[in-house]
Amino acid sequence: MSKFDNAMRRQALSLPALLEEQYHDLEPKARSILSFQEIFSIQRIILTGCGDSRAASMAVKLAFEELTGIPTEVVTALDLSRYYDPKQLGFAPRNPLVIAVSNSGGVARVGEAIQRAVGAGAFALGVTGRRDSLLGRSASRVLDLEIPSFESAPGVRSYLVSVLSLLLLAIRLGEVRGRYTMDQANAYRRDLLRQGEALERLLPALDEKAEAQAGRWKDFDAFDFAGAGKDLAAAWYGHAKIFEAAGKRAMCVNAEEWLHLNFFMRDVDTTGTSVVCTGRNRGICRVREMVHHAAADMGRPTAVVTDEPELFRGEGAEIFEIPKTEYDFSSALTNFVPLALLAGFVSAMIGETYGRGCKGPWAFADHGAGITQSAIILD
Amino acid sequence: MLKHFKLQTAERDVVSLTEDIKAFVEGSGIREGLCTICTPHTTAGLTVTSFWDPNGFLDLQDEICRLIPTRIDFKHQHDTPQDAAGHVKSSLIGVSFSLPIHEGKLLLGHSQGIYFLEFDGPRNREYFVKLIRDPDGP
Repeated sequence: MSKFDNAMRRQALSLPALLEEQYHDLEPKARSILSFQEIFSIQRIILTGCGDSRAASMAVKLAFEELTGIPTEVVTALDLSRYYDPKQLGFAPRNPLVIAVSNSGGVARVGEAIQRAVGAGAFALGVTGRRDSLLGRSASRVLDLEIPSFESAPGVRSYLVSVLSLLLLAIRLGEVRGRYTMDQANAYRRDLLRQGEALERLLPALDEKAEAQAGRWKDFDAFDFAGAGKDLAAAWYGHAKIFEAAGKRAMCVNAEEWLHLNFFMRDVDTTGTSVVCTGRNRGICRVREMVHHAAADMGRPTAVVTDEPELFRGEGAEIFEIPKTEYDFSSALTNFVPLALLAGFVSAMIGETYGRGCKGPWAFADHGAGITQSAIILD
Repeated sequence: MLKHFKLQTAERDVVSLTEDIKAFVEGSGIREGLCTICTPHTTAGLTVTSFWDPNGFLDLQDEICRLIPTRIDFKHQHDTPQDAAGHVKSSLIGVSFSLPIHEGKLLLGHSQGIYFLEFDGPRNREYFVKLIRDPDGP
Protein backbone atom coordinates (compact mmCIF):
# COMPACT_ATOMS: atom_id res chain seq x y z
CA MET A 1 0.00 0.00 0.00
CA SER A 2 1.17 3.53 -0.76
CA LYS A 3 2.59 5.42 2.20
CA PHE A 4 0.57 8.35 0.92
CA ASP A 5 -2.73 6.48 1.09
CA ASN A 6 -5.51 8.93 1.83
CA ALA A 7 -9.29 9.16 2.07
CA MET A 8 -9.72 10.54 -1.45
CA ARG A 9 -7.68 7.66 -2.81
CA ARG A 10 -9.76 5.18 -0.84
CA GLN A 11 -12.92 6.80 -2.19
CA ALA A 12 -11.54 6.52 -5.73
CA LEU A 13 -10.62 2.87 -5.25
CA SER A 14 -14.15 2.16 -4.01
CA LEU A 15 -15.78 3.51 -7.18
CA PRO A 16 -16.15 0.26 -9.19
CA ALA A 17 -18.20 -1.37 -6.44
CA LEU A 18 -20.11 1.85 -5.82
CA LEU A 19 -21.00 2.18 -9.50
CA GLU A 20 -22.40 -1.34 -9.63
CA GLU A 21 -24.40 -0.87 -6.47
CA GLN A 22 -25.71 2.60 -7.29
CA TYR A 23 -26.65 1.66 -10.83
CA HIS A 24 -29.00 -1.03 -9.52
CA ASP A 25 -30.45 1.39 -7.00
CA LEU A 26 -30.89 4.34 -9.34
CA GLU A 27 -31.95 2.73 -12.62
CA PRO A 28 -35.46 1.77 -11.39
CA LYS A 29 -35.81 5.11 -9.62
CA ALA A 30 -34.88 7.09 -12.74
CA ARG A 31 -37.32 4.92 -14.70
CA SER A 32 -40.31 5.74 -12.53
CA ILE A 33 -39.64 9.22 -11.17
CA LEU A 34 -41.51 11.02 -14.00
CA SER A 35 -44.68 9.85 -15.74
CA PHE A 36 -45.05 9.65 -19.52
CA GLN A 37 -47.24 12.76 -19.35
CA GLU A 38 -44.63 14.68 -17.40
CA ILE A 39 -41.84 13.60 -19.71
CA PHE A 40 -43.76 14.59 -22.83
CA SER A 41 -44.61 17.99 -21.39
CA ILE A 42 -40.98 19.04 -20.99
CA GLN A 43 -40.01 21.84 -23.36
CA ARG A 44 -36.76 22.98 -21.77
CA ILE A 45 -34.43 21.66 -19.10
CA ILE A 46 -32.29 23.56 -16.61
CA LEU A 47 -29.61 21.72 -14.67
CA THR A 48 -28.53 23.58 -11.57
CA GLY A 49 -26.32 23.11 -8.59
CA CYS A 50 -23.24 24.38 -6.79
CA GLY A 51 -19.70 23.06 -6.65
CA ASP A 52 -19.40 19.40 -7.66
CA SER A 53 -23.10 19.28 -8.49
CA ARG A 54 -22.63 22.09 -10.95
CA ALA A 55 -19.70 20.16 -12.46
CA ALA A 56 -21.92 17.07 -12.73
CA SER A 57 -24.50 19.20 -14.55
CA MET A 58 -21.82 20.44 -16.95
CA ALA A 59 -20.71 16.84 -17.50
CA VAL A 60 -24.16 15.73 -18.69
CA LYS A 61 -25.50 18.85 -20.43
CA LEU A 62 -24.57 17.71 -23.91
CA ALA A 63 -25.80 14.19 -23.17
CA PHE A 64 -29.19 15.60 -22.17
CA GLU A 65 -29.48 17.44 -25.47
CA GLU A 66 -28.20 14.50 -27.53
CA LEU A 67 -30.44 11.95 -25.85
CA THR A 68 -33.62 13.90 -25.20
CA GLY A 69 -33.57 16.42 -28.04
CA ILE A 70 -34.68 19.02 -25.48
CA PRO A 71 -32.75 22.31 -25.17
CA THR A 72 -30.80 22.08 -21.92
CA GLU A 73 -28.76 24.65 -20.06
CA VAL A 74 -26.62 24.61 -16.96
CA VAL A 75 -27.42 27.54 -14.69
CA THR A 76 -25.60 28.16 -11.44
CA ALA A 77 -27.83 28.24 -8.39
CA LEU A 78 -27.02 31.91 -7.80
CA ASP A 79 -27.94 32.86 -11.37
CA LEU A 80 -31.15 30.85 -11.21
CA SER A 81 -32.18 32.25 -7.87
CA ARG A 82 -31.37 35.90 -8.41
CA TYR A 83 -30.96 36.72 -12.10
CA TYR A 84 -32.83 34.26 -14.33
CA ASP A 85 -35.65 35.94 -16.24
CA PRO A 86 -38.84 34.99 -14.35
CA LYS A 87 -40.77 34.95 -17.64
CA GLN A 88 -38.63 31.99 -18.64
CA LEU A 89 -39.64 30.11 -15.48
CA GLY A 90 -43.19 28.89 -15.92
CA PHE A 91 -43.40 29.95 -19.58
CA ALA A 92 -45.56 26.85 -20.09
CA PRO A 93 -47.29 24.63 -17.54
CA ARG A 94 -44.69 22.93 -15.34
CA ASN A 95 -41.86 24.20 -17.50
CA PRO A 96 -38.94 24.22 -17.62
CA LEU A 97 -37.93 21.02 -15.88
CA VAL A 98 -35.33 22.12 -13.35
CA ILE A 99 -33.09 19.37 -12.04
CA ALA A 100 -30.98 20.09 -8.98
CA VAL A 101 -28.50 17.62 -7.54
CA SER A 102 -27.30 17.90 -3.97
CA ASN A 103 -26.59 14.85 -1.86
CA SER A 104 -26.92 16.78 1.38
CA GLY A 105 -29.71 18.94 0.04
CA GLY A 106 -28.77 21.65 2.48
CA VAL A 107 -27.08 24.18 0.19
CA ALA A 108 -28.99 27.41 0.71
CA ARG A 109 -28.58 28.80 -2.80
CA VAL A 110 -29.82 25.60 -4.44
CA GLY A 111 -32.86 25.57 -2.19
CA GLU A 112 -33.52 29.21 -2.96
CA ALA A 113 -33.17 28.64 -6.71
CA ILE A 114 -35.61 25.74 -6.60
CA GLN A 115 -38.13 27.62 -4.49
CA ARG A 116 -38.03 30.53 -6.91
CA ALA A 117 -38.33 28.30 -9.95
CA VAL A 118 -41.26 26.32 -8.52
CA GLY A 119 -42.92 29.55 -7.42
CA ALA A 120 -42.74 30.81 -10.99
CA GLY A 121 -44.33 27.66 -12.39
CA ALA A 122 -41.38 25.42 -13.19
CA PHE A 123 -41.29 21.74 -12.30
CA ALA A 124 -38.34 20.92 -10.06
CA LEU A 125 -36.80 17.52 -9.62
CA GLY A 126 -34.50 17.32 -6.63
CA VAL A 127 -31.88 14.60 -6.64
CA THR A 128 -30.82 14.30 -3.01
CA GLY A 129 -30.05 11.94 -0.19
CA ARG A 130 -32.18 13.96 2.23
CA ARG A 131 -35.90 14.34 1.61
CA ASP A 132 -36.16 16.48 4.72
CA SER A 133 -33.46 18.88 3.50
CA LEU A 134 -34.09 22.31 2.06
CA LEU A 135 -33.83 20.92 -1.47
CA GLY A 136 -36.01 17.92 -0.65
CA ARG A 137 -38.70 20.15 0.83
CA SER A 138 -38.53 22.69 -1.99
CA ALA A 139 -38.61 20.39 -5.03
CA SER A 140 -41.77 19.27 -6.84
CA ARG A 141 -40.46 15.69 -6.84
CA VAL A 142 -37.49 13.96 -5.19
CA LEU A 143 -35.27 11.25 -6.59
CA ASP A 144 -33.74 9.63 -3.52
CA LEU A 145 -30.02 9.08 -3.43
CA GLU A 146 -28.76 6.42 -1.05
CA ILE A 147 -25.00 6.67 -1.11
CA PRO A 148 -23.45 4.42 1.53
CA SER A 149 -21.46 6.43 4.05
CA PHE A 150 -17.71 6.49 3.67
CA GLU A 151 -14.89 8.36 5.36
CA SER A 152 -15.12 12.05 4.66
CA ALA A 153 -13.07 13.65 1.90
CA PRO A 154 -13.61 16.11 -0.94
CA GLY A 155 -16.35 14.45 -2.97
CA VAL A 156 -15.31 11.55 -5.18
CA ARG A 157 -18.07 9.02 -4.59
CA SER A 158 -20.83 11.63 -4.52
CA TYR A 159 -19.66 13.08 -7.84
CA LEU A 160 -19.86 9.71 -9.57
CA VAL A 161 -23.36 9.15 -8.20
CA SER A 162 -24.46 12.64 -9.29
CA VAL A 163 -23.29 12.03 -12.86
CA LEU A 164 -24.80 8.53 -12.88
CA SER A 165 -28.19 9.71 -11.68
CA LEU A 166 -28.30 12.50 -14.26
CA LEU A 167 -27.26 10.26 -17.14
CA LEU A 168 -29.88 7.68 -16.18
CA LEU A 169 -32.50 10.43 -16.20
CA ALA A 170 -31.37 11.65 -19.62
CA ILE A 171 -31.49 8.13 -21.06
CA ARG A 172 -34.97 7.65 -19.63
CA LEU A 173 -36.33 10.92 -21.03
CA GLY A 174 -35.04 10.09 -24.52
CA GLU A 175 -36.38 6.54 -24.32
CA VAL A 176 -39.90 7.57 -23.34
CA ARG A 177 -40.00 10.33 -25.94
CA GLY A 178 -39.22 7.74 -28.61
CA ARG A 179 -35.83 9.15 -29.54
CA TYR A 180 -34.48 5.59 -29.69
CA THR A 181 -35.67 2.09 -28.97
CA MET A 182 -35.79 0.42 -25.59
CA ASP A 183 -32.96 -1.84 -26.78
CA GLN A 184 -30.85 1.21 -27.54
CA ALA A 185 -31.71 2.74 -24.18
CA ASN A 186 -30.57 -0.45 -22.50
CA ALA A 187 -27.35 -0.37 -24.54
CA TYR A 188 -26.73 3.14 -23.20
CA ARG A 189 -27.40 1.91 -19.68
CA ARG A 190 -25.06 -1.06 -20.08
CA ASP A 191 -22.36 1.34 -21.23
CA LEU A 192 -22.63 3.11 -17.88
CA LEU A 193 -22.67 -0.09 -15.84
CA ARG A 194 -19.73 -1.81 -17.50
CA GLN A 195 -17.42 1.09 -16.80
CA GLY A 196 -17.15 -0.31 -13.28
CA GLU A 197 -15.25 -3.37 -14.49
CA ALA A 198 -13.12 -1.33 -16.87
CA LEU A 199 -12.26 1.15 -14.15
CA GLU A 200 -11.34 -1.67 -11.78
CA ARG A 201 -8.85 -2.98 -14.34
CA LEU A 202 -7.31 0.45 -14.93
CA LEU A 203 -7.28 1.69 -11.33
CA PRO A 204 -3.98 0.10 -10.22
CA ALA A 205 -2.11 1.81 -13.07
CA LEU A 206 -3.96 5.10 -12.54
CA ASP A 207 -3.19 4.94 -8.84
CA GLU A 208 0.50 4.34 -9.44
CA LYS A 209 0.76 7.08 -12.08
CA ALA A 210 -1.13 9.61 -10.00
CA GLU A 211 1.17 9.01 -7.05
CA ALA A 212 4.26 9.44 -9.25
CA GLN A 213 2.79 12.57 -10.83
CA ALA A 214 1.92 14.03 -7.45
CA GLY A 215 5.48 13.36 -6.33
CA ARG A 216 6.74 15.54 -9.18
CA TRP A 217 4.05 18.21 -8.85
CA LYS A 218 3.40 18.44 -5.11
CA ASP A 219 5.49 21.58 -4.61
CA PHE A 220 4.02 23.46 -7.55
CA ASP A 221 2.27 26.69 -6.61
CA ALA A 222 -0.40 26.46 -9.26
CA PHE A 223 -2.35 24.03 -11.39
CA ASP A 224 -4.57 24.58 -14.36
CA PHE A 225 -7.08 22.20 -15.85
CA ALA A 226 -8.34 22.27 -19.41
CA GLY A 227 -10.88 20.39 -21.47
CA ALA A 228 -13.64 20.84 -24.01
CA GLY A 229 -17.27 19.81 -24.26
CA LYS A 230 -18.32 17.37 -21.59
CA ASP A 231 -14.67 16.81 -20.61
CA LEU A 232 -14.44 20.41 -19.41
CA ALA A 233 -16.58 19.32 -16.47
CA ALA A 234 -13.91 16.83 -15.36
CA ALA A 235 -11.32 19.58 -15.66
CA TRP A 236 -13.54 21.80 -13.51
CA TYR A 237 -13.82 18.97 -11.02
CA GLY A 238 -10.02 18.61 -10.98
CA HIS A 239 -9.42 22.26 -10.19
CA ALA A 240 -12.03 22.13 -7.43
CA LYS A 241 -10.27 19.16 -5.82
CA ILE A 242 -6.93 20.97 -5.83
CA PHE A 243 -8.57 23.83 -3.92
CA GLU A 244 -10.35 21.55 -1.49
CA ALA A 245 -7.73 18.87 -0.94
CA ALA A 246 -4.45 20.74 -1.34
CA GLY A 247 -5.35 24.40 -0.79
CA LYS A 248 -3.30 25.47 -3.82
CA ARG A 249 -4.03 27.86 -6.66
CA ALA A 250 -6.02 26.28 -9.45
CA MET A 251 -7.91 27.30 -12.54
CA CYS A 252 -10.16 25.62 -15.07
CA VAL A 253 -10.49 26.80 -18.64
CA ASN A 254 -11.49 25.33 -21.96
CA ALA A 255 -8.74 24.29 -24.35
CA GLU A 256 -9.33 27.22 -26.68
CA GLU A 257 -9.19 29.78 -23.89
CA TRP A 258 -6.03 28.16 -22.52
CA LEU A 259 -4.26 29.34 -25.67
CA HIS A 260 -5.67 32.82 -25.17
CA LEU A 261 -4.81 33.08 -21.48
CA ASN A 262 -3.03 30.42 -19.50
CA PHE A 263 0.01 29.90 -21.68
CA PHE A 264 1.19 33.39 -20.69
CA MET A 265 1.96 32.12 -17.18
CA ARG A 266 5.56 32.98 -16.25
CA ASP A 267 6.22 29.89 -14.15
CA VAL A 268 6.50 27.43 -16.97
CA ASP A 269 8.29 24.75 -14.98
CA THR A 270 6.14 24.86 -11.87
CA THR A 271 2.59 25.05 -13.17
CA GLY A 272 0.96 21.66 -13.58
CA THR A 273 -1.43 21.45 -16.50
CA SER A 274 -4.00 18.65 -16.66
CA VAL A 275 -6.08 18.09 -19.77
CA VAL A 276 -9.12 15.84 -20.11
CA CYS A 277 -10.15 14.67 -23.58
CA THR A 278 -11.72 11.45 -24.84
CA GLY A 279 -10.91 10.22 -28.32
CA ARG A 280 -14.34 11.07 -29.76
CA ASN A 281 -14.59 14.52 -28.25
CA ARG A 282 -15.53 16.87 -31.12
CA GLY A 283 -12.93 19.34 -29.90
CA ILE A 284 -10.07 16.85 -29.93
CA CYS A 285 -8.13 18.53 -32.76
CA ARG A 286 -7.95 21.76 -30.81
CA VAL A 287 -7.17 19.95 -27.57
CA ARG A 288 -4.29 18.10 -29.24
CA GLU A 289 -2.93 21.40 -30.53
CA MET A 290 -3.15 22.80 -27.03
CA VAL A 291 -1.36 19.79 -25.54
CA HIS A 292 1.34 20.06 -28.18
CA HIS A 293 1.93 23.74 -27.41
CA ALA A 294 1.89 23.14 -23.65
CA ALA A 295 4.02 20.02 -23.46
CA ALA A 296 6.17 19.94 -26.60
CA ASP A 297 6.61 23.65 -27.42
CA MET A 298 6.70 25.09 -23.92
CA GLY A 299 7.88 22.13 -21.87
CA ARG A 300 5.18 22.73 -19.30
CA PRO A 301 4.50 19.78 -17.00
CA THR A 302 1.41 18.31 -18.62
CA ALA A 303 -0.90 15.38 -17.94
CA VAL A 304 -3.60 14.10 -20.28
CA VAL A 305 -6.60 12.06 -19.17
CA THR A 306 -7.98 10.13 -22.13
CA ASP A 307 -9.49 6.84 -23.28
CA GLU A 308 -7.26 6.85 -26.37
CA PRO A 309 -3.65 7.23 -25.20
CA GLU A 310 -2.23 6.79 -28.71
CA LEU A 311 -3.73 10.10 -29.79
CA PHE A 312 -1.61 11.99 -27.27
CA ARG A 313 1.66 10.04 -27.26
CA GLY A 314 4.88 11.70 -28.32
CA GLU A 315 4.05 15.13 -26.94
CA GLY A 316 5.90 14.69 -23.66
CA ALA A 317 2.73 14.63 -21.58
CA GLU A 318 1.97 12.01 -18.94
CA ILE A 319 -1.03 10.01 -20.01
CA PHE A 320 -3.75 8.64 -17.72
CA GLU A 321 -5.87 6.03 -19.43
CA ILE A 322 -9.54 5.92 -18.49
CA PRO A 323 -12.19 3.36 -19.54
CA LYS A 324 -13.14 3.35 -23.20
CA THR A 325 -16.87 3.55 -23.63
CA GLU A 326 -19.21 2.62 -26.44
CA TYR A 327 -20.88 6.04 -26.35
CA ASP A 328 -18.80 9.12 -25.71
CA PHE A 329 -21.28 10.83 -23.38
CA SER A 330 -21.05 8.03 -20.85
CA SER A 331 -17.33 8.53 -20.21
CA ALA A 332 -18.30 11.49 -18.01
CA LEU A 333 -18.89 8.80 -15.41
CA THR A 334 -15.20 7.98 -14.97
CA ASN A 335 -13.11 10.67 -16.69
CA PHE A 336 -12.62 12.58 -13.44
CA VAL A 337 -11.06 9.71 -11.47
CA PRO A 338 -7.36 10.38 -12.24
CA LEU A 339 -7.75 13.98 -11.11
CA ALA A 340 -9.30 12.89 -7.81
CA LEU A 341 -6.33 10.57 -7.25
CA LEU A 342 -3.86 13.31 -8.15
CA ALA A 343 -5.39 15.86 -5.77
CA GLY A 344 -5.57 13.29 -2.98
CA PHE A 345 -1.91 12.37 -3.36
CA VAL A 346 -0.74 16.01 -3.54
CA SER A 347 -2.69 16.70 -0.35
CA ALA A 348 -1.21 13.68 1.41
CA MET A 349 2.36 14.40 0.30
CA ILE A 350 2.35 18.00 1.52
CA GLY A 351 0.52 17.07 4.70
CA GLU A 352 -2.44 19.31 3.92
CA THR A 353 -5.73 18.85 5.73
CA TYR A 354 -8.81 18.65 3.52
CA GLY A 355 -10.68 21.96 3.59
CA ARG A 356 -7.99 23.31 5.94
CA GLY A 357 -9.84 21.48 8.67
CA CYS A 358 -12.21 24.45 8.92
CA LYS A 359 -9.84 25.99 11.43
CA GLY A 360 -8.33 29.46 11.72
CA PRO A 361 -9.43 31.66 8.79
CA TRP A 362 -11.61 28.80 7.55
CA ALA A 363 -13.46 28.28 10.84
CA PHE A 364 -16.55 30.13 9.61
CA ALA A 365 -17.16 27.30 7.14
CA ASP A 366 -17.27 24.54 9.76
CA HIS A 367 -19.94 21.92 8.99
CA GLY A 368 -20.60 23.60 5.67
CA ALA A 369 -21.88 26.79 7.31
CA GLY A 370 -20.45 28.90 4.49
CA ILE A 371 -22.94 27.40 2.05
CA THR A 372 -25.82 26.33 4.25
CA GLN A 373 -26.15 29.46 6.37
CA SER A 374 -27.13 32.13 3.91
CA ALA A 375 -30.09 34.46 3.66
CA ILE A 376 -32.73 33.12 1.28
CA ILE A 377 -34.22 35.91 -0.79
CA LEU A 378 -37.44 35.26 -2.69
CA ASP A 379 -39.06 38.13 -4.54
CA MET B 1 -40.95 -31.33 -34.49
CA LEU B 2 -40.06 -27.78 -33.40
CA LYS B 3 -38.01 -25.17 -35.25
CA HIS B 4 -36.71 -21.85 -33.95
CA PHE B 5 -36.51 -18.91 -36.35
CA LYS B 6 -34.91 -15.50 -35.78
CA LEU B 7 -35.52 -12.21 -37.51
CA GLN B 8 -34.65 -8.56 -37.20
CA THR B 9 -37.45 -6.06 -37.54
CA ALA B 10 -37.78 -2.38 -38.33
CA GLU B 11 -40.15 -0.01 -36.56
CA ARG B 12 -43.81 -1.02 -37.29
CA ASP B 13 -42.54 -3.73 -39.58
CA VAL B 14 -44.62 -6.40 -41.33
CA VAL B 15 -42.36 -9.35 -42.10
CA SER B 16 -43.38 -12.28 -44.27
CA LEU B 17 -42.74 -15.67 -42.67
CA THR B 18 -44.58 -17.64 -45.35
CA GLU B 19 -41.72 -19.06 -47.39
CA ASP B 20 -39.66 -20.14 -44.36
CA ILE B 21 -42.62 -21.91 -42.76
CA LYS B 22 -43.74 -23.51 -46.03
CA ALA B 23 -40.22 -24.86 -46.59
CA PHE B 24 -40.10 -26.28 -43.05
CA VAL B 25 -43.47 -28.01 -43.53
CA GLU B 26 -42.61 -29.41 -46.95
CA GLY B 27 -39.23 -30.64 -45.73
CA SER B 28 -40.73 -32.37 -42.69
CA GLY B 29 -42.23 -35.30 -44.56
CA ILE B 30 -45.55 -34.82 -42.75
CA ARG B 31 -48.47 -35.36 -45.14
CA GLU B 32 -51.37 -34.64 -42.78
CA GLY B 33 -51.15 -32.74 -39.52
CA LEU B 34 -51.07 -29.39 -37.83
CA CYS B 35 -48.64 -26.49 -37.92
CA THR B 36 -48.59 -24.13 -34.92
CA ILE B 37 -46.73 -20.85 -35.09
CA CYS B 38 -46.01 -18.74 -32.03
CA THR B 39 -43.83 -15.83 -31.04
CA PRO B 40 -42.66 -15.28 -27.44
CA HIS B 41 -42.97 -11.48 -27.49
CA THR B 42 -45.44 -9.09 -25.91
CA THR B 43 -45.08 -6.20 -28.35
CA ALA B 44 -45.47 -8.17 -31.59
CA GLY B 45 -48.15 -10.30 -33.21
CA LEU B 46 -48.73 -12.97 -35.84
CA THR B 47 -51.39 -12.83 -38.49
CA VAL B 48 -52.51 -14.13 -41.86
CA THR B 49 -53.23 -11.53 -44.50
CA SER B 50 -53.07 -10.90 -48.23
CA PHE B 51 -49.67 -10.48 -49.82
CA TRP B 52 -50.78 -8.97 -53.12
CA ASP B 53 -50.46 -5.28 -52.33
CA PRO B 54 -47.70 -4.03 -49.99
CA ASN B 55 -49.89 -1.02 -49.22
CA GLY B 56 -52.16 -3.47 -47.44
CA PHE B 57 -49.42 -3.92 -44.83
CA LEU B 58 -49.34 -0.18 -44.27
CA ASP B 59 -53.15 -0.18 -43.91
CA LEU B 60 -52.92 -3.00 -41.39
CA GLN B 61 -50.44 -1.17 -39.15
CA ASP B 62 -52.23 2.15 -39.65
CA GLU B 63 -55.58 0.71 -38.60
CA ILE B 64 -54.11 -1.11 -35.62
CA CYS B 65 -52.48 2.18 -34.58
CA ARG B 66 -55.76 4.00 -35.13
CA LEU B 67 -57.51 1.56 -32.82
CA ILE B 68 -54.74 1.58 -30.24
CA PRO B 69 -52.79 4.80 -30.66
CA THR B 70 -49.53 5.38 -28.85
CA ARG B 71 -50.65 7.56 -25.96
CA ILE B 72 -48.94 8.92 -22.90
CA ASP B 73 -51.74 8.09 -20.46
CA PHE B 74 -51.31 4.33 -20.35
CA LYS B 75 -51.14 3.03 -16.81
CA HIS B 76 -48.22 0.78 -17.72
CA GLN B 77 -45.33 3.23 -17.59
CA HIS B 78 -42.41 0.93 -16.85
CA ASP B 79 -41.03 1.15 -20.38
CA THR B 80 -42.28 3.52 -23.10
CA PRO B 81 -45.62 4.66 -24.56
CA GLN B 82 -44.86 2.65 -27.69
CA ASP B 83 -44.21 -0.40 -25.55
CA ALA B 84 -47.44 0.08 -23.60
CA ALA B 85 -49.46 0.37 -26.81
CA GLY B 86 -47.57 -2.60 -28.20
CA HIS B 87 -48.71 -4.82 -25.33
CA VAL B 88 -52.35 -4.05 -26.08
CA LYS B 89 -51.91 -4.57 -29.84
CA SER B 90 -50.11 -7.85 -29.25
CA SER B 91 -52.88 -9.15 -27.00
CA LEU B 92 -55.60 -8.22 -29.46
CA ILE B 93 -53.86 -9.56 -32.57
CA GLY B 94 -52.46 -12.62 -30.85
CA VAL B 95 -49.11 -14.31 -30.75
CA SER B 96 -49.96 -17.77 -32.05
CA PHE B 97 -52.23 -19.69 -34.40
CA SER B 98 -52.41 -23.04 -36.14
CA LEU B 99 -52.89 -24.04 -39.76
CA PRO B 100 -53.60 -27.50 -41.14
CA ILE B 101 -51.04 -29.46 -43.11
CA HIS B 102 -52.70 -31.23 -46.01
CA GLU B 103 -51.05 -33.41 -48.63
CA GLY B 104 -47.63 -32.33 -47.38
CA LYS B 105 -48.30 -28.61 -47.72
CA LEU B 106 -49.42 -25.79 -45.50
CA LEU B 107 -53.10 -25.16 -46.07
CA LEU B 108 -53.14 -21.49 -47.06
CA GLY B 109 -55.48 -19.68 -49.45
CA HIS B 110 -54.08 -18.40 -52.72
CA SER B 111 -53.86 -14.82 -51.37
CA GLN B 112 -52.81 -15.69 -47.85
CA GLY B 113 -49.42 -15.17 -46.30
CA ILE B 114 -48.16 -15.50 -42.73
CA TYR B 115 -46.84 -12.28 -41.25
CA PHE B 116 -44.97 -11.10 -38.20
CA LEU B 117 -46.30 -7.74 -37.01
CA GLU B 118 -43.85 -5.53 -35.16
CA PHE B 119 -45.50 -3.11 -32.74
CA ASP B 120 -42.22 -1.68 -31.45
CA GLY B 121 -38.92 -2.09 -33.22
CA PRO B 122 -36.36 -2.15 -34.51
CA ARG B 123 -35.83 -5.29 -32.46
CA ASN B 124 -34.24 -8.71 -32.64
CA ARG B 125 -37.19 -11.13 -32.69
CA GLU B 126 -37.88 -14.84 -32.83
CA TYR B 127 -40.70 -17.26 -33.45
CA PHE B 128 -41.26 -21.00 -33.25
CA VAL B 129 -43.01 -23.44 -35.54
CA LYS B 130 -44.27 -26.77 -34.17
CA LEU B 131 -45.42 -29.52 -36.56
CA ILE B 132 -47.69 -32.33 -35.36
CA ARG B 133 -48.41 -35.37 -37.50
CA ASP B 134 -52.00 -36.68 -37.41
CA PRO B 135 -52.04 -39.83 -35.21
CA ASP B 136 -53.50 -41.88 -38.03
CA GLY B 137 -51.93 -39.91 -40.87
CA PRO B 138 -48.99 -40.66 -43.21
